[in-house]
Amino acid sequence: MPSDELTTYAENTWCPGCGNFGIFNAVKGAIRELGRKGIGADRLFMTAGIGCHGKMFDYLNISGFYSLHGRSMATAQGIKLADPELKVICFCGDGDAYGEGFEHIIFAAKRNADITVIVHNNGVYGLTTGQFTPVSNKGFKGRSTPRGSIEDPLNPLAILMECGATFVARGFSGKIENLRDTLVAAVLHEGFSIVDVLQPCVSFNDTYKLYNAEVEVLAPGDRSYDEAMAMCKRKDRLPVGTIYHITEREPFHRALLGDRRPVKDRLGRDERLASVSNILKNR
Amino acid sequence: MAGDTFTFMVGGKAGEGVKSAALVASAMFSAMGRSVFQNDDYMSLIKGGHNFSVVTSAAKRKVLSPHMGADLIVSLDQRSHDMHGAQVADGGIEVLNSDAVKANVGNGVGIPMTTEAKRYPRPDLRLGVGGVAILASAIGMDLQDLMAVLEREFPKDLENNKAYASTILALAKGAGIAGRFILEKGGGGRRPIITGNEAIALGMAAGGLDIYLAYPMTPASSILHFLASNDRELGITVFHPENEIAVANIAIGAAATGARSAVGTSAGGFALMEEALSLAGMTETPLLCILSMRPGPSTGVPTYSAQGDLMFALHQGHGDYPRLVASPGTVEEAYHLAAEMLDMVWRFQTPGILLTEKHLSEASMTVDIDTGKTAWPDPVMHSSETGVYKRYLDTKDGISPLLFPPSKELIKWNSYEHDEKGITSEKPGVISQMQEKRMRKEGAIIDRMKGMRTVNVFGRTGPVIFTYGSTTMSVLEALAVGGIEAKVVQPIYLRPLPVWELQKHEARGAIVVEQSAGGQFATLLSDKLGIKDIKPIRRYDGRPFEPTELAKAIKEAL
Repeated sequence: MPSDELTTYAENTWCPGCGNFGIFNAVKGAIRELGRKGIGADRLFMTAGIGCHGKMFDYLNISGFYSLHGRSMATAQGIKLADPELKVICFCGDGDAYGEGFEHIIFAAKRNADITVIVHNNGVYGLTTGQFTPVSNKGFKGRSTPRGSIEDPLNPLAILMECGATFVARGFSGKIENLRDTLVAAVLHEGFSIVDVLQPCVSFNDTYKLYNAEVEVLAPGDRSYDEAMAMCKRKDRLPVGTIYHITEREPFHRALLGDRRPVKDRLGRDERLASVSNILKNR
Repeated sequence: MAGDTFTFMVGGKAGEGVKSAALVASAMFSAMGRSVFQNDDYMSLIKGGHNFSVVTSAAKRKVLSPHMGADLIVSLDQRSHDMHGAQVADGGIEVLNSDAVKANVGNGVGIPMTTEAKRYPRPDLRLGVGGVAILASAIGMDLQDLMAVLEREFPKDLENNKAYASTILALAKGAGIAGRFILEKGGGGRRPIITGNEAIALGMAAGGLDIYLAYPMTPASSILHFLASNDRELGITVFHPENEIAVANIAIGAAATGARSAVGTSAGGFALMEEALSLAGMTETPLLCILSMRPGPSTGVPTYSAQGDLMFALHQGHGDYPRLVASPGTVEEAYHLAAEMLDMVWRFQTPGILLTEKHLSEASMTVDIDTGKTAWPDPVMHSSETGVYKRYLDTKDGISPLLFPPSKELIKWNSYEHDEKGITSEKPGVISQMQEKRMRKEGAIIDRMKGMRTVNVFGRTGPVIFTYGSTTMSVLEALAVGGIEAKVVQPIYLRPLPVWELQKHEARGAIVVEQSAGGQFATLLSDKLGIKDIKPIRRYDGRPFEPTELAKAIKEAL
């Protein structure tokens, strides 16, 4: 792994050929591009769940919180609330985002929390050596489903569209420039952004051939809700790029806080004691 | 009247204004300078059922418990009469709603409260106002005084309330109730009346809280409600997310970004927060959790009180890390302890639990709170002179300076075992170094606690009674009622347990009073202090100890 200003001293332990390398490079490219647009790395804060994707936390030289499995989306919302001036990037696996912590991503979309969720979607639990995930195809043979999964997969992008997501995109770890541009747009978007990144797992679910055949880069352009929904549901091709993007909905932190920053604009001790005394006086 | 107290009890169906009648009664007593303790007994339902409230007041001392022997009982329905008619104290009186109660009035009187209420819209809601009028009559208030109370306390639909109350007042006079009790005025004038949960909320707010998160769960919900309706005035952000798992994890994210965060729940919700509490322990995130107990296991009895989650609170979260647990004895102590615990979790960067019970959470008391004594967090912060930032800098006391974004420095909080910079590590040397660093904070906590008030002792001589939480109030009230001399020892901090203080008291043969069927507090004391021959007094039916009954049990144990 080449050393650069966005890479830490941690030893990289992803399998050779892992799709995470492509995502890592796209993320670093996106961070540099955001820097050129005036958002320095010091204004970025990352969270990660648990799984192979989570190693991004150790390798990426930006500040953050290495959270629990399924909870990085909740941690990210707390960070945004405490400091609304930060851009919070939340890394998850498909087990994290669509299994263990599905309620958090649904509610983050529902309330339009201004966080960018990047799902490393490889359709398999890699770090725990190969079990089916909520998005694995029916028939997927994993270590907990040796005769093949008997469940149909979820369609997370369609679900999140329905929950009110305001930025919905798909990426492919094999199309680094397209992914980088998508990530920049997702972080710049003020509101809930989901970027579902198709990622082969060379050890347990090697989908390079399939994705190379089915992935299709989207032409830029606005899409209506119905057009975007139809695109999320397409089965013959896998469109990558920004599928849906609207700016009409107010982000959660602004609706809750207005322009107030809970930590930086903290009410001082004297003012608080005066308020408390006043409340007590009227009881 | 029973001793030096006066007790007013009102009972009826949910939705008949039972609790609001009691609130107004409390305000009336406080206006006389009397100390007040109000306990509301209600069922987990919206309409119907049986609700009753007890308001005990005294002129010369602080009342610390409701008394079940009532001087004046107002029974709005049959069930109230059936359940409480026999609880009239010597010289007391029961006033029945004669439209709803079919009974021989006995030593009480009947007033057709419903018939009179039917002259106005929504008659059921008006019964509580009638209860207030009966109390006003019994303690010798005249029409003018009563009208002033109504104007202050029942501003909604005031004219109808005034008309109804005037009628009931006249009927009470006709029934010979007027001026039956002459109540002594107390010194010091009117005091504020607040619940334990309001005290906790105010204490946290005064103590620098930035964000409060909770998912509703009785008996902690009223902290959420109070802060949500006073958020702007107190400068607090309040957020009710999808579940307790989100609550705890969002709070941790906010705390890692510098926001003083707290969460509140009862044990079922607390169980869902467990993994996040351990996360706070590992990442060294300051997090305050309010845990208000109700009878368990499982869903248990939602609107009643217990102390059966002590061991759960003491052992929250998996793995080794320093834990803080403290429990307030009174509403006033709840205020100060909430602020102090916020300071403690920020000082030592570890999770802390403020453990309480439904009895304290929802009971109301007159309080004297000196807000000037409220604690304020004073965490160790990184300064730019100390060089490259390391989130988990290994220090002598184990406390690593904090730094929050935005910063040019790299700030890494990590749930995996990590090196000083916060990068994941599985090296044996690093693992033991960090385990030891975290555990050293426990020594630092104990050093600080040795300069703090961590145990309350009431009384100087006599047998030793150990208790904790709001049961302390029950014990003190029982001693006052029973004229018993004893030394009551109440640890405020339960983890670390201030053994150095508790060992000052002869513990052999001590009485241990608690609200746990399994005797969890007694187990803690015998484990940590090696106490033998404990005499346990336990109540675990969801109700607080009744002072007269408890006094009898203590006398028997002596």
